[in-house]
Amino acid sequence: MSLESPESSQETFTHKVEFELNGSPERHSVPTSTTVLDLLRNSCSKQGVRASCERSVCGACTVLVDDLPVAACSTFAFDIDGARVETVEGLAAQDGTLSAQQQAFRECGGFQCGFCTSGMLMVTTALLRQNPQPDREEIRDWISSNTCRCTGYEMILESVERAAELAGAKQQDQAPE
Amino acid sequence: MALTRQHPEAVIAAGCSDLVAQFREGLEPEVLISIQRIRELRAISNEDGLLRIGSLVSHAEGSRSPEILSSVPALAAAWGSIATVRIRYRGTLGGNLLARRYRYEMPVILSALGAQMQFQGGDIAALPVSSLWDPDPGNVGILTAVTIDTPSLLWFGYERSMRPLSTVSLTVRKNPQAGLTVTAVCGSEYRQPFVLSHTAEATAITELDPAFVGEVLAAQLPDEAGDYSGSIDYRRHLVGVLCRRLLAEATGNQRKGSQP
Repeated sequence: MSLESPESSQETFTHKVEFELNGSPERHSVPTSTTVLDLLRNSCSKQGVRASCERSVCGACTVLVDDLPVAACSTFAFDIDGARVETVEGLAAQDGTLSAQQQAFRECGGFQCGFCTSGMLMVTTALLRQNPQPDREEIRDWISSNTCRCTGYEMILESVERAAELAGAKQQDQAPE
Repeated sequence: MALTRQHPEAVIAAGCSDLVAQFREGLEPEVLISIQRIRELRAISNEDGLLRIGSLVSHAEGSRSPEILSSVPALAAAWGSIATVRIRYRGTLGGNLLARRYRYEMPVILSALGAQMQFQGGDIAALPVSSLWDPDPGNVGILTAVTIDTPSLLWFGYERSMRPLSTVSLTVRKNPQAGLTVTAVCGSEYRQPFVLSHTAEATAITELDPAFVGEVLAAQLPDEAGDYSGSIDYRRHLVGVLCRRLLAEATGNQRKGSQP
């Protein structure tokens, strides 16, 4: 449910919002009450940002803002002016090569219906940027922020552990000799 | 401050997690003032025993702050245990308090610590966090910081293992003249936090009897603390157990009762 109220009799105040989305510049004019979720789904065609609880609880709409995971449903669009925003659509390489996180979730079966997967992938991305080698307790703390009603979480835990392995191996491959 | 004086009816926006929820519940402010980028409100300091935490400090920042870790480490631990990863990065101290939602945990944690809310630009300079659910104090202006007096603080702990049924934060402070004061604040999903207090004629924490003090504190819970999730008898029992558990940790006395 969008917060924007097109039938409002009051004059709508709009904000110019410029931000970087998955590496590309974006420029929009939005009413004050527009959420990041509204903006990304309706104006930027990023349908991977799921609209679900819209109360900041379930994590399906998780995106990264300046490397930190935020609930797009509970963040006003005017607040991301000047920020760097990342969605699940930006994880894979230009040629379609999956990121370590995506590869790991595919390998370990870290999804069933797939509805929570984009949020889980973004939380995993943020976690591995902060700590490339998290232990089980830390992984559990992070992924428990997101709701999954299919997997029972065990395979997601394994996926995050595998993602850390793959990302570590990738970094070693890229390290100068 | 000039903007708030110009628009006293304005809604103040910080992290906005709660504000977006209020919009969904029908809030339609004519004026919204975002203070998100005022750096001064993110400061944390500890001078002369007064811990001062800016109102825009996020849960993540508060739980990792060197000033808090060095002065009240258990506060940092408690702060880091609330909410989810996403909200910890986005939610602010001020927002958590001023949302005045029963289920939020910082009012419970900070009330036990005797924390004071510092305001600017209104008619009131300071109010205790424990007064959040008192009648509307009127124009308070902007919440700039929360302060905690640390010299007399001997121990602090927070129990949230029975959330949402009951949470308990507990402090032991040394009184200026003599004795110790144990303050417990009991939170829950559906009722405002209740402050419970007991003064003991003791000179050290180790002299406190966890079982006795726990019972005394729990008995002070008013009848209205009973709610949909548990009767008042059950909540008193539960709060007694949680207080005893915290005091056992405080005194180093891990026995369940006071008898060997």
